[in-house]
Amino acid sequence: MKGWMGKIVRINLSSSKVAIRQTNTDDLRNFIGGRGLGAKILYDELALATDAYSIDNRLIFCTGPLTGTRAPTSGRYCVVSKSPLTGTIFDSQSGGSFGPELKFTGYDAIIIKGRSSRPVYLWINDGEVRLVDATELWGLDTHKTTDTLIRSTDCRAKVACIGPAGEKLVRIAAIINDKHRAAGRGGLGAVMGSKKLKAVVVRGTQSVEIADKKRFDSAVEKSLRAIGKNPITDRSLPTLGTAALVNVINELGMFPTKNFQEGYFEDAEGISGEKIAERILTGQVACWGCPIACGRATCADRKRGEGPEYETVWALGAQCGVSDLIAVTEANYVCNELGIDTISAGSTIGCAMELHERRLLREEINFGDAQAVVDLVRKIAYREGIGDQLAEGSYRLAERCGAPELSMSVKKLEMPAYDPRGAQGHALAYATSNRGGCHLRAYLIGPEVLGVPALIDRFKWQGKAQLVMLYQNLFATIDSLILCVFSSFALNPEHYAELLSSAVGVPFSGERLIEVGERIYNLERLINIREGFSRKDDSLPPRFLKSPLVQGGSRGRVVALRRMLSEYYRLRGWDRHGEPKPAKLKRLRLVTARKTLEKN
Amino acid sequence: MNVGGFPTKEELAKMIDHTLLDPSSTYSKIEKLCNEAVKYGFVAVCINPLHVRLASELLKSTAIKVCSVIGFPFGATPTKVKVFETRYVIEDGAEEVDMVINIGALRSGDYERVRNDIEAVVEAASGSIVKVIIETGYLTDEEKVKACQLAKGARAHFVKTSTGFGPFGAFSSDVKLMRKVVGSKMGVKAAGGIRDFNDALRLIRAGANRLGTSASVSIIEGLEWAKYSEAWFIEEIPCKICASRHSNLAKQPKEVYRYYKSKCRTCPHRKYNVFYEK
Repeated sequence: MKGWMGKIVRINLSSSKVAIRQTNTDDLRNFIGGRGLGAKILYDELALATDAYSIDNRLIFCTGPLTGTRAPTSGRYCVVSKSPLTGTIFDSQSGGSFGPELKFTGYDAIIIKGRSSRPVYLWINDGEVRLVDATELWGLDTHKTTDTLIRSTDCRAKVACIGPAGEKLVRIAAIINDKHRAAGRGGLGAVMGSKKLKAVVVRGTQSVEIADKKRFDSAVEKSLRAIGKNPITDRSLPTLGTAALVNVINELGMFPTKNFQEGYFEDAEGISGEKIAERILTGQVACWGCPIACGRATCADRKRGEGPEYETVWALGAQCGVSDLIAVTEANYVCNELGIDTISAGSTIGCAMELHERRLLREEINFGDAQAVVDLVRKIAYREGIGDQLAEGSYRLAERCGAPELSMSVKKLEMPAYDPRGAQGHALAYATSNRGGCHLRAYLIGPEVLGVPALIDRFKWQGKAQLVMLYQNLFATIDSLILCVFSSFALNPEHYAELLSSAVGVPFSGERLIEVGERIYNLERLINIREGFSRKDDSLPPRFLKSPLVQGGSRGRVVALRRMLSEYYRLRGWDRHGEPKPAKLKRLRLVTARKTLEKN
Repeated sequence: MNVGGFPTKEELAKMIDHTLLDPSSTYSKIEKLCNEAVKYGFVAVCINPLHVRLASELLKSTAIKVCSVIGFPFGATPTKVKVFETRYVIEDGAEEVDMVINIGALRSGDYERVRNDIEAVVEAASGSIVKVIIETGYLTDEEKVKACQLAKGARAHFVKTSTGFGPFGAFSSDVKLMRKVVGSKMGVKAAGGIRDFNDALRLIRAGANRLGTSASVSIIEGLEWAKYSEAWFIEEIPCKICASRHSNLAKQPKEVYRYYKSKCRTCPHRKYNVFYEK
C-alpha cells in the first residue's frame, strides 16, 4: 500500500539486535498508523502488568500514512509505550521535523525493547540502522545532545533525545526533538532513560509514494483552503500562538489558578499571548509542512528559545500563581533543555504549593514565587532535594503527604489548562481519557468555547457524551494519520478521509475513519482494563464534583459527571463497569482482543 | 447516526450571500471572496460599492451575483445619495442591492420619508433585487413590523435583519416576526453574527430564505459535522439566543434598551436568565 513505507525496525537493546520486518498491512487498514498502530503493537506484545521500566516494556516511535506528505500539519510522529506515570497505555505526539525525517529513512515505526548495558543512541541513516555508544552524551541536556549528535552524524539529521530528567527516571520526563518540540506527556522520556537510550537520530532521503497524486493534490488544496479560511488557524494561532487562549479562557472563568482552587487569574494579562507578542516574541515557528505556524520563537533575559505555549504559561504561571512572563519563559526553556513535561511539572509544583499552604508539606513552596518555579523545575530534573518527590508527579506527591485529592490529575496524569467546571463536555473527556487528564483525546473546548464547528452550551451536560465519543474517535484517527489536532478547527472528517484515501489508495469515508478511531479507542481501553483500570478510574478529583468555583464566568458550577458517564458508557456499548460489551467488540472486529483479555 | 432535516451543502450555499464588508478589505481579499463563491456555489457575493466592478469582472461568466450595500451601514444619507449610489453600483455590475433604511426617520414616525427612500432605491435599481436592512437592534418589535410593512409597500424584494455593524445581529425571533409580516412571497434575509451551521440552520428554520455571513466557508464545511451527532442540535437555553439578553446600553438608544430588558421581566423563559449563578 502507498503512503506507508512498508517496513518496521525492531530493536532489542539488551542484545543489540536489529531486525527489519514488513509492516502488517492488515494492521494499517484497521489501525491506520501512528497511535493506532502503536496501540495494536503494544496490545499484541506487552505482557500483563509489565512494569513501565521493565526490559519488556516497548517504546514505539511511529509515523503515519500522511507523515512526510504534502498534507497540511503532517510533520509529526508519536511515541507509544506503557506510562510510568499513569500505568496506562500512553501515546505522546510531537511536531517539528523529526517525524518526516524518520519516515524518509524508509521505516514506518521503530519498536524498541530491552535495556542496553551502557548508554547508546540509535542512528538510522537512510535504512541503515546502528546502535552507537552514548556514554559521552549521558548527563548532557537536550540542546547539547542534539548539537553533538548532529555534528557527529549528519548536519541534516534530526534528533529526538532525553535530558537528565529522562536519565534519572523522572516520571514526568519528556522526549525532546528538534530542541524545542516535545513528546511531552506521560513520562515516556523516563521509559527511554530506563532503556539507556539517549537519543534516536534519523536522516533519510526516501520519499513517500502517493497512490493518486492528482486526487491527493486536490485534497491538499481543499484542506489548505479550509485552514486559510478559519479564523483560528488563519488568524489567532499564527498571530498570537496558542497563548491567544489565555484571556479568552480566563474571561470565561475556567483558567485554573493556584492548583485549580480558582478559575480566574487576576494577573492573566501578564502571561497572555498578547503580552508574549509585546515582550518576548522574535518570530513565528512552524513544524514541517504546517501552514498554521503557531510556534513562538522567543527571547527572554538574553536567552533564546521557543515558547511558552498556552499550556505552559498556565502550568508554570497561573497554576503556581505566577504572572512573571520572563520567569515562566525561563522555566519553560529549562523544561525543554532538561527534558520535562511542562504541564505536569507546573501542575506538580502547584500541587506542592497547595500542600504547603495546607501545612501538609514542610518545604517552603509558596504560590506566586516565580523564582521557586524555575529552581524547582531544575531540581525535579536532577531529583535534587524536594525535587526528588516532585519528580514522581503530583499524585504520588500528594498521596505521600496524605492528601491525594489535592493532585489535580486523572489516572495520575496532571490535567491541563481548562477547569472542567467551566465546560461539561471537556470534563467528561478528561474523565474518560485513555491516557488520563488530557485535553487532546477530545478537545471539546472547540465547540464549547471557540464555537468550532458550532457553538454549543458549555454548561449543559445533555448531549455531551455523544460529542465526547465523536471527538475521541476522530482524534484517535487524527493521531494515527498523523496530523496535528489543530487541523480539526478547520477540517472535518471528510477532509481527512479524502487525504487518506488518495494517499494510500484504499477508500475511506468520514464514517469509516470514525469507526477506525472507535476501534483504536476500544483497543486502548482493553489494554487499560487488562492493567486493572475500570469505572472507578474514569473520574475527576473531588474538587470538580463537589466544590463550585466562587468567582469568574464559571462560578457556581460543578461537573455533572455521574449522569454524563452513564450515558457515555451506554453510547459506547460498554457495560456499567466500563468494559466493552461483546457485541461492540464484534462490530469493531476486536473479538480476539477480548478473548485475550478474558484469558488474562 | 445520520441526522436528517437539514439542507445539503449545495442547498445551503444557494441561500448564502458570501459577505465581506470590512472597510479594510483589499482587492486580493475580494478576489479570494469571488473564488470561494464560485468554488462553493454561493448565491451572491456581498461587498462594498468600491469593489463592485472588480467582482463583476471576476464573476461575469458565472451564475454568482454581485450584491452591494447602499447607505451602509447607518442608512442616514439622503435619498438622493442612496439613489446615486444604487445607480452607480448597478452600472458597475451589481445585480442585487442591500439598502439600509433611514432608521432615525422610522423611529421619529416619519414613515412617508422611509417609504419614499425605499421606493426611490427600488426604482433606481431598475428591476434588480433590493433588500431592505431594518437594523433590528435599534428598533422595538412594533417598529420592526412597521419597517417591514413599509418595505413591502415599497415593492422591495427582501427585508433584512441587520448590517452586522449595529447593536446586534440576527435572532430567530426577529426573523419569525419579519416573516410573519411580509408573508411567504417576499424574502427574509438574516445577517449579522451568523458564525456556524447551527446559527444558520436555526435562522432558516425561523423563516429566513437568505443568509448574509462572512463565515460562509466555515458554515458549509462545518455542515459535514452535523451528520455525526444529534448533540449539535440540542436546544439552546432560550436566553442565549434572545435579543433581550444581548441588549447593550452602550450600543442602543436607552428607550430601546429598556424595551428589550422589560421583556425579560415577563418572559416565560426568565428562569433561564441565570447564566453564571448557581
